[in-house]
Amino acid sequence: MKGKVGVLLAMVVLFGVIASGCIGSQETSETKTTSAELTGDFVKDVLAIGKALESNGVNEVKFSAWGSGDPNSVMRVYGIVEAARRINKVWEENGVNVKITITDTHYVASFQDAYQEYLSKQPLGQAGDFFVNSYAFLPTLADEGYILDITEYANAYKNVIDDFYSSLIEASKFKGKLYGLPQDTEARPLYIRKDVAAKIGFNLEGIEEKVKNGEFTWGDVSYWAKKAKESGVEWGLIHRKGSAHPDLIQFIFAFGGKLYDEDSGKLVVDVPAIYKWLYVEWKFVQDGLLPKDIMSWDWAKQIHPAIVEGRTLFDIGGTWYWTEWQTKEYYGKEGTPRPLKPEEVQAWFAYTLFPAGEKGLKPVTLSQPFIWMINSKAGQQNPKYDELEDLYHKLAFLMVIKASDPDINAIHSVISAHLPVRKEAAKLISDEKWLNDLKNLNLDLDPQVKTNIKDIVATTVHPINAKFLADVSYMLEYTKLAPAHPKYPALADIFKEAVDKVLRGEMTPEEGVNYIIQKVNADPELAQNVEIVGEIPKDWKFP
Amino acid sequence: MKGEKLRNLSFFLSPMIIMVGLFYLIPLIFTIYISFTKMRNWNTERYLTEVVGLYNYQRLFHMFQHDPLMRTVLLTTVVFVGITLIINVFGGLLLALGTFFVNESSASTIRLLWLLPRMSPIAVYSLVWYYFFHGSDIGTLNSILMKLGVLSQPIPWGQIVPWGAWSVIIFVNGLVGVSFGMIVFTSALNQIPKELVIAARVDGASAWQISRRILIPMMKWHFLYVLTWQFLSLLTTYPHLFLLVQWDLVSRDYGTTLALYVYNTAFGRGEQDQGLAAAAAVLLSIIGILGGFVTLKVLQFEKMIHEPRGDIE
Repeated sequence: MKGKVGVLLAMVVLFGVIASGCIGSQETSETKTTSAELTGDFVKDVLAIGKALESNGVNEVKFSAWGSGDPNSVMRVYGIVEAARRINKVWEENGVNVKITITDTHYVASFQDAYQEYLSKQPLGQAGDFFVNSYAFLPTLADEGYILDITEYANAYKNVIDDFYSSLIEASKFKGKLYGLPQDTEARPLYIRKDVAAKIGFNLEGIEEKVKNGEFTWGDVSYWAKKAKESGVEWGLIHRKGSAHPDLIQFIFAFGGKLYDEDSGKLVVDVPAIYKWLYVEWKFVQDGLLPKDIMSWDWAKQIHPAIVEGRTLFDIGGTWYWTEWQTKEYYGKEGTPRPLKPEEVQAWFAYTLFPAGEKGLKPVTLSQPFIWMINSKAGQQNPKYDELEDLYHKLAFLMVIKASDPDINAIHSVISAHLPVRKEAAKLISDEKWLNDLKNLNLDLDPQVKTNIKDIVATTVHPINAKFLADVSYMLEYTKLAPAHPKYPALADIFKEAVDKVLRGEMTPEEGVNYIIQKVNADPELAQNVEIVGEIPKDWKFP
Repeated sequence: MKGEKLRNLSFFLSPMIIMVGLFYLIPLIFTIYISFTKMRNWNTERYLTEVVGLYNYQRLFHMFQHDPLMRTVLLTTVVFVGITLIINVFGGLLLALGTFFVNESSASTIRLLWLLPRMSPIAVYSLVWYYFFHGSDIGTLNSILMKLGVLSQPIPWGQIVPWGAWSVIIFVNGLVGVSFGMIVFTSALNQIPKELVIAARVDGASAWQISRRILIPMMKWHFLYVLTWQFLSLLTTYPHLFLLVQWDLVSRDYGTTLALYVYNTAFGRGEQDQGLAAAAAVLLSIIGILGGFVTLKVLQFEKMIHEPRGDIE
């Protein structure tokens, strides 16, 4: 009897399993798709992904965007918000019941802090789905598998990729694979105070050309800086502080040196060029033209006020200074500090490339492109992530493609004085009608985006600023990039320490170079990744 | 009987044993393990099982031999811990004794004022000193001295090496630490029977004599506790130092202690080398254990924990 009951029970269970299996398989075979092929037709791809998500019961996709930088560069996160709106619109118009929601727009001032946060939170699955940061961190993030390899996806969107400046696409690669799309870039001009120049008889007419053809070099900068000092101006030169990346290493390139050897894949300590760099800075300090403690100056209370108040003739800055001076209260000559007006910035500052170190060499500038990167776990806060990972990743890629729309890129460029990364965006900047529409925020943008950029637009969108961007765009032809090598930040830190010690007079330029070499060799791992080339030049004189 | 005693002991000690194991022992063992791996950039999946033997220790000792910064780090650690410890312990003792002899309302106000550095958020507190010691004329100290005509040029206090940098970090951390000793010593003083002090007063003893002959000898335990605790705290503290160095107020070379070096190596900019940092942390732990042991020996801890003669088993 017991045996019969057992057999009966087993049959019932078996029937149940078979029946449920049949029902299940019937449902799966009907509509569920867990991947989509990218074709290069944006609308078609977005619809295919939207329908696939819908068929899997996903009606809301949540993403978060992390960005960092100066206060005017908020489009680094709001570009993603706008991209989401544009994709949502496509879905809505085509009856796809899916919506992207940007749950978090995390924006911090320091891009290094943002990188540290991303690095520590990514393995825990708590980092943003989109991460905009310097290309300098891309190799480490790519090497650790923390960002998405988009090479395959980008192949389908060759038409879009080709519109980016090729040097910037190269900066988005690691070991030949594409890990992001350029978001912005900049140049680092040498600013010259026109009023101080006029006072000392320094004729600035044609100065851009003279710098371009290598006729005006750092020897001339030193000459005029001395003249300015003699005339009672406090300083001849002010420059940025920080980890010597990416500002002061322009000296290495300006003296014909290099920082990276393509053949060996190693970083390079170019001894002659570094010695000349340190010597020039040391000489400027010795002559009282450059503050010896500049590396510990306060940005808001010392560096910027000294420049905008005309207490220096030259300044090694960045293109973004142009609008930063118009939005931050740095000018305190009339009592309460206030921002400059566009007309004042135009009237007071001339700008050139970073001059050649000596005659016969070329001028340079340095860019640090920011890159849209996609978290390799993008979309993980959404349902059925393991099953639908491919769809979420492709959707994230399409969002970056959308966030790179020429108008979004152009808005960012104009309001933050960064240079556009796409040729189409560069054209838009010169379009007066479009600029006027931007000024009045008469553009088809997400209300959240409009609200967040309203104040910045009011102070920065101006024909003078657009002209400035157009004027400095040529500098990208001369641009150099710091090496995208995981060990470069460690080397940059050593450069900073050496420059600081030389500026403070704790070391001579020669001792500074030896200090760099000693520090590199002190860490066996760094030493393996760095080549030390050349020797300290004998009988070299400056100026 | 023995088994029952063991059971009772285990029962009462188990919460503490579990806590010590969970929050002290396991992290220490884990740190030692990481120091033998190639762990970096938080990538546990990739590196946590990649054992590299003594590689991190070899690299660390190579750096100690050849990197001038590493020798400075050790020297700075010794000077910083040594001097700040003296300030913290004796400053706390002095404040406790000082407030013991004044009326209660003034004593409370003084104690509250000295607690302010500990109550303030680290960033805010450090920012105050950043602007106070700033090396240009925007610095409060320079500005005051220049207005008084004492200085004609601002002095970059934190960049004068080594003593300028050391003085700033010792001053800033010293102020934070004093309050800890003050509280412990004050509570110890309040436990001393008032009759002893009154009797001494009747006999004509001065405040100094009362302190030296009665109060301080009765606070031996507390002194040992504050000294050991503060020594270990100072050896491992880094947040204030991190900010002061980060903001370029003090020289990086002479503002970096071993604890800050461990932090910067593990979580600093660029590549974050947690394997190397763990090796340095193990070294720091060994110094801490040895230092703590020496402190207990010197202050004759063993004598102090002898069972009282009057106790009966």
